[in-house]
Amino acid sequence: MSVMENVVGAISSPADTSPVRGTMVSQALRRVDDNVLIREAQRGNRAAFEELVRQYDHAVLRLALRLTASEQDAQDIYQEAFLKAYRNLVSFRFECSFYTWIYRIVTNLCLDHLRKKNVRKEEAPVTTMQDGTELSLIDQVADDRSHSNPERDLMRRELGHKIGLALNRLTPRERMVFELKHYQGLKLRTIGEMLSTTEETAKNTLFRATQKLRGALSEMR
Amino acid sequence: MNCELFKQNVILLVYDELPDDILFEMRQHAERCPACNLELESAQQFRKDVSADPALEPTPNLLAASRMHLQEALETAETARGWRAWVFHLVWDPVDWLRQIRFFPALAAAILIFGFAGGVLTAFKIKTPPVSGIAQIGNGQSAEASIAGIRGITQDPNTNTVQINYDKLLPSSAQGSINNPDIEKLLLYAAHTQENPGVRVESVAILSQKCDEAQVRQAMMRALLDDHNPGVRLQALEGLEEYVKEDVQVRDVVVQALLNDTNPGVRTEAIRLLQPVKADSTVRSAFERLSKRHDNEYIRSESERTLASLPNID
Repeated sequence: MSVMENVVGAISSPADTSPVRGTMVSQALRRVDDNVLIREAQRGNRAAFEELVRQYDHAVLRLALRLTASEQDAQDIYQEAFLKAYRNLVSFRFECSFYTWIYRIVTNLCLDHLRKKNVRKEEAPVTTMQDGTELSLIDQVADDRSHSNPERDLMRRELGHKIGLALNRLTPRERMVFELKHYQGLKLRTIGEMLSTTEETAKNTLFRATQKLRGALSEMR
Repeated sequence: MNCELFKQNVILLVYDELPDDILFEMRQHAERCPACNLELESAQQFRKDVSADPALEPTPNLLAASRMHLQEALETAETARGWRAWVFHLVWDPVDWLRQIRFFPALAAAILIFGFAGGVLTAFKIKTPPVSGIAQIGNGQSAEASIAGIRGITQDPNTNTVQINYDKLLPSSAQGSINNPDIEKLLLYAAHTQENPGVRVESVAILSQKCDEAQVRQAMMRALLDDHNPGVRLQALEGLEEYVKEDVQVRDVVVQALLNDTNPGVRTEAIRLLQPVKADSTVRSAFERLSKRHDNEYIRSESERTLASLPNID
């Protein structure tokens, strides 16, 4: 029996049937699994590190892609984040989960990216309509999924464009908190941990971000 | 709960961040206060609107490409880290390094021996006067080479100069395809002359992939009959397997191995190899011999079984 199977056997029991308990057990298992993998990776086992990567890389890439709106930049952030994690794994002290730790690295890289982007005033490629409205070229890519409805698709793209513009008006930190809360569904306490701040500060930042977004979206209506 | 507090917390309500007691109070308040109820509806609508904008999902291609690039970067980082860590450890933390060495007596002994040998060589070089001698006569690599033997010594009667003719062994390495004639020559050499049985096993295992060449097949047969190491003989048998049917010489050698090899594993393997040619008269007589007088129960019974499976030709 493998180390992992032993651990799983020790934590779970057939009596664990309630959903809450099930979630708690699965979270505990995930954490234990991660810890086993981290210890292995710290001993130089690269396969263990790659296993960790595979558990979180989809979420990391999605966050980077949302924040950068560029596949190339998202890929760069993805690579840099995991390379940093690999180089600094020996210093991981199990004070937080690997998930929080890798997200902290990614959010820092994304914040740097957003700050640089703000300085350079980079914008997504846009096209100006006859009525003067600007639409993102990315948003103009047709959604050719079979279930799509052209009218609904147009509305979705317009809304997406407006939201994109509103999000771009946020400060990098507000944007980050909002992304982590709304799109990644994280708890404010976790967001605070990831951004090396308190839950209260994260709450205030979310409040400011939503106020700005609501204001911007109502202006655009 | 008042309206100001409600407005401050409404977004937390929408995003399920409130504890149950405050949530209850806020819901009660919204029922009583139309303005706050409107605020709640507005906040809920905001969440709904933003959720209508689908999050960009990485495509499987992007994920696969990212993983591939990361893999390459990790490989580079691993190599660099290995060297850096080693150099850093050695340069900046020699105490720890020495502490670790303490726990590896073989390594420590090897380092001591190398150090001692290095010291002796250095002293030898320093003390030897730079006269026309070894360095000039040889190709300048005498320090690295081992002396294989001295062939002759002559002294000039008029001076104190001595000429020594000697052979030396130079460590070299070769790399190339197994189809390269030079590599093949080295492998054949290693297969029958090398003292180290591990090297013989390796070379025979590699050569067994090209038994279609007569020279290689000869080397395999020689290894099967003469090599002292059963691992080498088994490896040779493996290489010869597919030629037992077509090459009578190979068949005879395998029969020889079946009858005379001292290792039961080799004999058992020879029985297996000879199954497709068990009707051959030489093979049949070998099995008859073994079935009558072999001291190994398994080999005897296998021989009997093989003979029993043959049609009676008498």
